Amino acid sequence: MRNFFFFLRLFIWFSLRDMRKHMGRAATVLLGIALGAAVFSSVRLSVNASLDSFTRSMDLIAGQADYVLTRPGGHVPENLITRLWNHRAIQNVSPVLSTYTRLAQTGSEPFLLIGFDPILDRPLRHWRIAPTTDQKAVVWFDLLKEPDTIILSEPLARLLNREPGDRLLLEHARQRSDFKIIGKLAPEGLALAEGGRIALTDIATFQEFTGLFGKVDRIDLKLKPFATEKDLADIRQMLSESIQLNPPTAARQSGQMMIRAYQLNLSILSFASLFVGMFLVYSLVALNAASRRHELAILRSTGASAYHVFFIFLAEGAFLGIIGWLAAIPLGNFLIKYLLHGVSQTISTLFVRVQVETLSLSVFEICFSFAVTVGISILAAYQPAREAMQVPPKEALEISQLGMRPRKSPRQLALGGLICILLVMPLSRLPAVLDMPLPGYLAIMLLFVGFSLLAPWALQRISDRFSSVLLRRTGIPAYLASRYVRDSGTRTAVSVGALITAVALFTALVIMIYSFRQTVAYWTHETIKGDLFLTSKMGPVNRFRYPIPQQVIDNLQLYKSEADILPNRQFFLTYGKFPYVFELMDMPGYMQYASFFWLKGDPKKIRPMLKRGEGVIVSEVFSNRTGLDVGDVFEAQVEESFVRLPILGIVRDYRTHGGAVFYSMPHFIAQYHPIYWGGLRFFFKDRSRDLDLAVSRLRNQIIDRMGDQVDMFSGKGLRGAVLKIFDETFAVTTVLLLIALVIAGLGIATTLTVLVLARSQQLNTLFAIGASFRQIRTMIFWEAAFLVVIGELAGVICGFILSYLLVYVVNRQSFGWTFIYGVDWNALGMSIPLIIITALAAALPAVKLVFRKPPATLLRER
Amino acid sequence: MKHLSKKDACVFLFMALILACAGRHVYADGGTDYLSVTGPCNLTFPKNHGLHAGYRTEWWYYTGNLQSDAGEPYGYQLTFFRSQISPPGAERKWPEPHSAWRTQQVYAGHAAISDIDKKKHYQSELLVRGSLGLAGVSQKSDITTIFVKNWSVQIRSGQHILKAVANDFSFELNLLPVKPPVLHGKAGYTRKGSIPERASCYYSFTRLRSKGALAIDGTTIAVQGFSWMDHEFSSAPLETEIVGWDWFSLQLSDQTEIMVYLLREQGGQLHSASSGTFIDKSGKPRHLTKDDIRIDILDSWKSPRSRAVYPARWRLMIFPLTMELTITPNLSDQEMLTSASTGVTYWEGSVSANGMADKQPIKGVGYVELTGYATAFKAPM
Repeated sequence: MRNFFFFLRLFIWFSLRDMRKHMGRAATVLLGIALGAAVFSSVRLSVNASLDSFTRSMDLIAGQADYVLTRPGGHVPENLITRLWNHRAIQNVSPVLSTYTRLAQTGSEPFLLIGFDPILDRPLRHWRIAPTTDQKAVVWFDLLKEPDTIILSEPLARLLNREPGDRLLLEHARQRSDFKIIGKLAPEGLALAEGGRIALTDIATFQEFTGLFGKVDRIDLKLKPFATEKDLADIRQMLSESIQLNPPTAARQSGQMMIRAYQLNLSILSFASLFVGMFLVYSLVALNAASRRHELAILRSTGASAYHVFFIFLAEGAFLGIIGWLAAIPLGNFLIKYLLHGVSQTISTLFVRVQVETLSLSVFEICFSFAVTVGISILAAYQPAREAMQVPPKEALEISQLGMRPRKSPRQLALGGLICILLVMPLSRLPAVLDMPLPGYLAIMLLFVGFSLLAPWALQRISDRFSSVLLRRTGIPAYLASRYVRDSGTRTAVSVGALITAVALFTALVIMIYSFRQTVAYWTHETIKGDLFLTSKMGPVNRFRYPIPQQVIDNLQLYKSEADILPNRQFFLTYGKFPYVFELMDMPGYMQYASFFWLKGDPKKIRPMLKRGEGVIVSEVFSNRTGLDVGDVFEAQVEESFVRLPILGIVRDYRTHGGAVFYSMPHFIAQYHPIYWGGLRFFFKDRSRDLDLAVSRLRNQIIDRMGDQVDMFSGKGLRGAVLKIFDETFAVTTVLLLIALVIAGLGIATTLTVLVLARSQQLNTLFAIGASFRQIRTMIFWEAAFLVVIGELAGVICGFILSYLLVYVVNRQSFGWTFIYGVDWNALGMSIPLIIITALAAALPAVKLVFRKPPATLLRER
Repeated sequence: MKHLSKKDACVFLFMALILACAGRHVYADGGTDYLSVTGPCNLTFPKNHGLHAGYRTEWWYYTGNLQSDAGEPYGYQLTFFRSQISPPGAERKWPEPHSAWRTQQVYAGHAAISDIDKKKHYQSELLVRGSLGLAGVSQKSDITTIFVKNWSVQIRSGQHILKAVANDFSFELNLLPVKPPVLHGKAGYTRKGSIPERASCYYSFTRLRSKGALAIDGTTIAVQGFSWMDHEFSSAPLETEIVGWDWFSLQLSDQTEIMVYLLREQGGQLHSASSGTFIDKSGKPRHLTKDDIRIDILDSWKSPRSRAVYPARWRLMIFPLTMELTITPNLSDQEMLTSASTGVTYWEGSVSANGMADKQPIKGVGYVELTGYATAFKAPM
């Protein structure tokens, strides 16, 4: 304990007082660390909030069920319930139906309506009606007693501005119904699912509302405590082949898996900010170690051990980490307000629907963020601390030279860097580990480290090569600058490393987003074809589980002379835990107007086979995630049929929420079983007419003739919406990228300032022997230019390699898709010079600082 | 007592269903009335073993005292409750087409076994709507079947077959009526309150020779003994001043039986509608009025779970029969906790009786039901 207090005092005297003396540079580094920590923590907390919301929602909806009975792509016959309930090993059964519905008014938000038997469900899920002041308190039996009664969660009642006793006109695929609100749910249990936007009704009312007579979405089972595997097998025996019996965790795990993959990607991206911040810490601690070499020697000569010195500098790093982390709290608080919404929106769009209302702080996340921030700060301080402990006490009597000399030569570092870079390619070829692209991330990390290690050597070589040219072309200041950069060693290289990292990240993400967007735009244009899309009411949000009313289909025949009508049906299924959509479509009709975005297989051969129903084509995502390739057999239980078809080809497909498999609808009906139309699209036969006008007219005619029974989207609007969603999903990425760039900018400013301040005596000596202010400023500008240009060049090269890793490794292993590689030369051409200018602007404070003190004072001090 | 007990049981056990039992509705709902019992019940069998749709509540109640081959005593209870949740005619307002789940009937089942020697009481409960074959009542070829999940009673000519399966116990019993059904009150019409509409139709099989098997914790035990069956239906809720009831059914060694129900008012006094029935050896009933009956409580038992204090020993005097009996529970803890179905806590248990009738020593066995001693009335379903 005594030793600790001694060390603490030493740290305060030696380090903290010095930091206070140079408050500006410490504050800049702290800002960089704080930004990095804030981004890292906010991203993790935001994704965790979505993950928690999803998991909680799934758990609350799954309740206490041990197993769930479903029919893939379809519904479970309700008459199974009696047989199941009478099974000796089954304690409780509960049929559940759910759908999204909304107020029958334009623009209202959908909410989840659950239909169940309140009696059978009691043992499985917790929910309670909030007590009212009314003496005639509502009992849930009213749900059974009165048709069209509903109970709303309190947040939903608030949102809809309704109270018990009020009426609620709800719309759904089949009809509009007038519901009577008989109570509000207390905010607990099931009422907390879906972010509290939930309503309950009796199963009878639900079936009458949706038309799902005789069937349910699923049957939840609670087994008796003594139930054995044999009992389970016995239960399975009771079921037809089309019914699946799975633990309720299956659906939850599938969603969690996707969110976690997204979390990992964002965490890595946000970690880049911390990584860049790490360079700042290194830079500052290294400067302190170098510029205070004489003091260190005195410290050693007065009794401090080498380890005291080592730990003082390590503590400096830790101190910067701790204070930076604390400063990140208010920053993170601000940032999280944006991220919470953006992240949950992205997750809802890409993977699973989440409703995040609150942020839950977990002790683990707080500790993790603290540990990572402080850990990387200590790591950054390690090397300078090691070098500081080498200072011999005898140097106390010497006049300090150029400060700390690097222990490793630039050549040695470059060799290490080269090895790191060479490892990138083999690593990137390794498969994902635990469904996560860990080798890919390791490759990225090695890429950054490799380029950073190459930086000193590159600076030395380039400066050496250009110094004589610069002398001839631009004069003495540029020459001196190049010589200084050549000899400055790793200290200068560190800031270049930071810049390389940030620019590489920028370049790679610009390329990736551009490639992705271009590919998606092409895919959208080629495959989401159709002039007008028509679905059952709220079809997309309810995954097309309800048919387009037959009356509508009959009426649409009137338009057959004017337009081709192509029906489709989508079944949302899972392959193992991987979700995908099995889409049946009118292949000949579709191929007349649109085409697939082929990736593997010969389209010329495959198209006729598809039209003849001889096989399926699968999306790249489906193929990558399931391992199924061309020539393999696709197998799936689709409602009551077991489908078994060869895979003819692989196509690019960028729909969210999983993969896709396409098959011919007429052949499915012929081979398996009849199905209803979930959606359809119109193609006008006369393509020369004003299609926008024709779409508008057709839409109005359908509404006039059939009323508001279906949802319609123009093809043009739909394609625009897809790209809009795309842009929105990358909003978070862009923000993270910009923050990383800001930190890199801080890094440049700090490094240059530090370099200038460290050489104050030299610069003033130059001034004293006749150099002009202008010459010295020009020299510093050239130093900055060297660092920035070399950093940018290396960053761009690193960025191109990184972009390859992102497009072909990380994205494929994380999400299953790749894109057509494309470079947005315009964006890069404009932004790279901008970054250079910004980075040079960051050098201005350093230039100004040079002569803040009169040269005489500085020289006298020395 | 049982008569009332059953009716009230319905009222209590289905408080939420009846919605008013709590006074929210009296007889009418939506302008349509439930059928009410106001006069002769005209009970004929086997027709009236079945469902009486239109009446708000109905129950089939079996209790009995059995012995294993080794002489180990057991008590059992199997009860089916039916509650109509909306009055006749309400179905006309149902949407068309309507769901198979839509129904007006909800059923509950309570089953229990008292292992007297081992001092253990096993119980189970069910609650389910009367649709999709989950529960119901059917009559085919003079066979009446009442079932809830896989619990059932089949009433055939001269035979009742009981089946119940719970997690830790089950039983299957064949009951043979020794006497014909007994119509309580005035040919089955029994008053339960101050006005004629507060009444029910109520009959019993007071002595059913019983044989079958119990299974407790996986051990099957052959048993035989005697059972009692009640069947009652009504639409009238309890009067507001009545807080609960005590019901006694006794099968005496002289081959006679007694049923007594006592309606307790706030303050402890008995409601004037309290009454009973004495059944002689030949099966002929004799109505007993409140003034014919006196009961003194000799002991009490406090439930460690509900904290309710129940009477635990009684002295029953029936003046016209010069009968005085001491009735003692065969097991203290026979409390029924039904939080998973009805939410009502009551005591229903096997008892023994000893005393004098017409100056002759007499003994017997029976069942007692005690309601309104816990605070279960407010429990939500």
